[in-house]
Amino acid sequence: MSFFRYFVRRLLLVIPILLGITVVAFIIANAIPADPINANLPPNALNDEETIAAFRKKWGLDKPLHEQYLTYLGNLLQGDMGTSIKTRKPVADDISSRLPATIELATLGLVYGTTLGVSMGLISAVWKNSLADYVARVIALIGISFPVFLIALIFLNVFYAQLGIAAGPGRLHPIMRAPPTVTGMFTIDALLNGDWKTFGNALSHLILPALTLALYISAIISRITRSSLLEVLNQDYMRTARAKGLRERYVIGFHGMRNSLIPIVTVIGLSYGNLLVGSILIERIFAYPGIGFYMFRASTSQDFPAIMGVSLLFAFIYVGVNFVVDILYFFLDPRIRIA
Amino acid sequence: MNRLKYFLALLTLVALLLGAFAGLAQDEKVLVIGWSENTDAYDPANGFTHSTHIVNHVTYSQLVTFPDEDASRIVPSLAESWEISEDGTVYTFSLRQDAAFANGDDVTADDVVFSIQRLQNFNGNPSFLADGIASVEAIDDDTVAFTLPDPRPSFLSEITSAVFSVTNADVVMANGGTDAEDAAETDTAGAYLDSTSAGSGSYVLDLWEPQNRTELVRNENYWGDAPYFDRVIFIHMPESATQKVALEAGDIDLAFDLQPDQIAALEGNTDVEIYRGIGTLTHFVIMNTEEEKSGPFANPAVQLAVRYALDYEGYKTLWGGVKPATNMTAGFFGNLGEEAAFSRDLDKARELLAEAGYGDGLDMTLEYPDMVYSGVSFNTNAQKIQADLAEIGINVTLQPGEIQVALERYRSGDHGVGYWLWGPDILDPLDFLSFMPPGKVATERNNWQLESLPQDIQDAIAAAKVASDPDERMALFTMLQEYTMQHGPFAPFNVPEVATAYRSDLLGYIWHPHWLLDVSILSRAM
Repeated sequence: MSFFRYFVRRLLLVIPILLGITVVAFIIANAIPADPINANLPPNALNDEETIAAFRKKWGLDKPLHEQYLTYLGNLLQGDMGTSIKTRKPVADDISSRLPATIELATLGLVYGTTLGVSMGLISAVWKNSLADYVARVIALIGISFPVFLIALIFLNVFYAQLGIAAGPGRLHPIMRAPPTVTGMFTIDALLNGDWKTFGNALSHLILPALTLALYISAIISRITRSSLLEVLNQDYMRTARAKGLRERYVIGFHGMRNSLIPIVTVIGLSYGNLLVGSILIERIFAYPGIGFYMFRASTSQDFPAIMGVSLLFAFIYVGVNFVVDILYFFLDPRIRIA
Repeated sequence: MNRLKYFLALLTLVALLLGAFAGLAQDEKVLVIGWSENTDAYDPANGFTHSTHIVNHVTYSQLVTFPDEDASRIVPSLAESWEISEDGTVYTFSLRQDAAFANGDDVTADDVVFSIQRLQNFNGNPSFLADGIASVEAIDDDTVAFTLPDPRPSFLSEITSAVFSVTNADVVMANGGTDAEDAAETDTAGAYLDSTSAGSGSYVLDLWEPQNRTELVRNENYWGDAPYFDRVIFIHMPESATQKVALEAGDIDLAFDLQPDQIAALEGNTDVEIYRGIGTLTHFVIMNTEEEKSGPFANPAVQLAVRYALDYEGYKTLWGGVKPATNMTAGFFGNLGEEAAFSRDLDKARELLAEAGYGDGLDMTLEYPDMVYSGVSFNTNAQKIQADLAEIGINVTLQPGEIQVALERYRSGDHGVGYWLWGPDILDPLDFLSFMPPGKVATERNNWQLESLPQDIQDAIAAAKVASDPDERMALFTMLQEYTMQHGPFAPFNVPEVATAYRSDLLGYIWHPHWLLDVSILSRAM
């Protein structure tokens, strides 16, 4: 199969998936037997028929459901994701102002998580059933079974409040101002502006939440790395590599790792999607104004346009990441190119 | 590969050090508050949340206000004096000569008229509050008259609210605002007023990033006493646990939403001061007066038995505060007070049930929202109600509901027996009439009909709505409260305390029952 055909086929599949997501998100958001009136109007205004009617009319809630959906879809196709009931700003603007924060966090989380996960997996595989293997496995077990919000709170309490060696909640210290917006990512914007102080502060605020995220994904990555590498280590070509006198680190590094990469790349790719989405609780605890933080608020206040917008975004990210992983396979594994 | 790793490790270390030791000293006097922001808008005609009121209380001024420490009386603000007509329907205010907006413009009667009419016509979340104003007109530059459809003694208390903020008409109009009747469709000043303020308060709104931060700067043209802090920063921290650690670390000066267990954990921390006061939220059991909905609990004798069965001291042990005699908010003028409240009397309760024909016990389903509000857990209280009532043979099944779902049933009056809380709409005893027919909780939510009351009580309700003489009000509200204690379908059981924690160098903190927090009276020890 040519790369181009492979690419186009994958791309076309994305459309029905996204369409399906809009339907599912719309149904779930509307299936809750609660009225957004209660979530968005002050209690004292709920006896005022005029206020309620005005609210329903303004947000199109007075129309039948299918009409609401079709209107939404029509607007979406024209690039209009609607206006958030809570923030009263276009959902697209809300997303674009919050997504960079989450990307910044998730990217650092991925760097930490991959480093930690692959190293632990490698140690576990090479020194199988040793003390190091057991330690790595216990860390993985903790990472995967401890609720992330608990880890987040423990980190904050220990490293920030008690020891005072890490920065606390938020993207910057409360009295610091955001750097001029270029990408929306504070570390990059601060660097572009040559502002080292803001850069350091922004980066220091990323560390605890990124480590929390990293602990979670590193657990999965290390398990996959271990099993994938163990499988490869028993292959004939590994023995051949050793037999021809290569140093052990080259045997493991080039012959071993290279050939066990496919499942590792898959799980890292999926983890990145998980990081973006899974940051909902972590962002809330770290008072980190990213997209997860926004989604939490939207869900609890039945802010339909915002829920729909973020659901679509999350779906798009997952689909996008899977797409990139698929494309990577094409380059990593010659067999896919032939199949 | 290895070099990259070393570089990353180094970068991490540097960042850690920078974060911990970065010198952030600056010349401005800055106050940082951690809160859970729920602002819907900062436009006074459109915002109606706690956080809107905290900010607008200092970015705008109103005609009259309450003292800094409580809601016991009305004191002048933009209006230096006022007169009430004989029939109690016309209020005429004389404005201060020296009052100016933050941009230097004089505050005039026309600004007052514009602000009230814009509020009425905007159809925003708080607009209904101005429904009780028939008209407002400027008599001259410094005199403005409000006409009410009927005499309403709570009027002055009502307009202390930040909703009745006086805005700079010229500035608002220049930014798309209008007070015309079609303001709901044509007014476009919302975006402007959400990013800055057009008022005459001690601060000016400098920045609002929704769900992130709100910043105020001192108003250099303020007509009153200048506040201590140059800048006030509110940081949105929705998790109270986050507020607690940030307070301990000293990154915020005040944590606004801590829960009782977190407050308890801070006791003994010398860097932190804890303030305790009596709150305004009354927790109560509500029993539907329609028999098909609540069964035996529509019977006033059974309702009274429930009041005798609750362990009031137990709830106080859990949440502090006071035990309420009725649903009139604690501390209000005319409130019967804790001395008059019920004390637990299980024999009396059993006797009442036996007389009503339920000596062998009966079943109850208690509906309530599954939530923690201001640190008070509804689940904990519901379980305690269950245990309390079991002692007189009432077998309670708990039915916690998702808040929006439970609210729906409560507000439509479909519940049988429920557990809810009440925060006053207005800081006046008149607020208590919500719990007397035809008030909204009594009738709309609980189907308690005016016609079912004795004639003298019906007359007293009508009289309480218009009476302005303090002695007369005292007598009327005493009579109505005593009636509901014996015959009402409500069992209020606790008004929890409020507690706030702040850094010990912060001075002047007071929790106010109306605007909760006034940042303009805070200062820092040298």
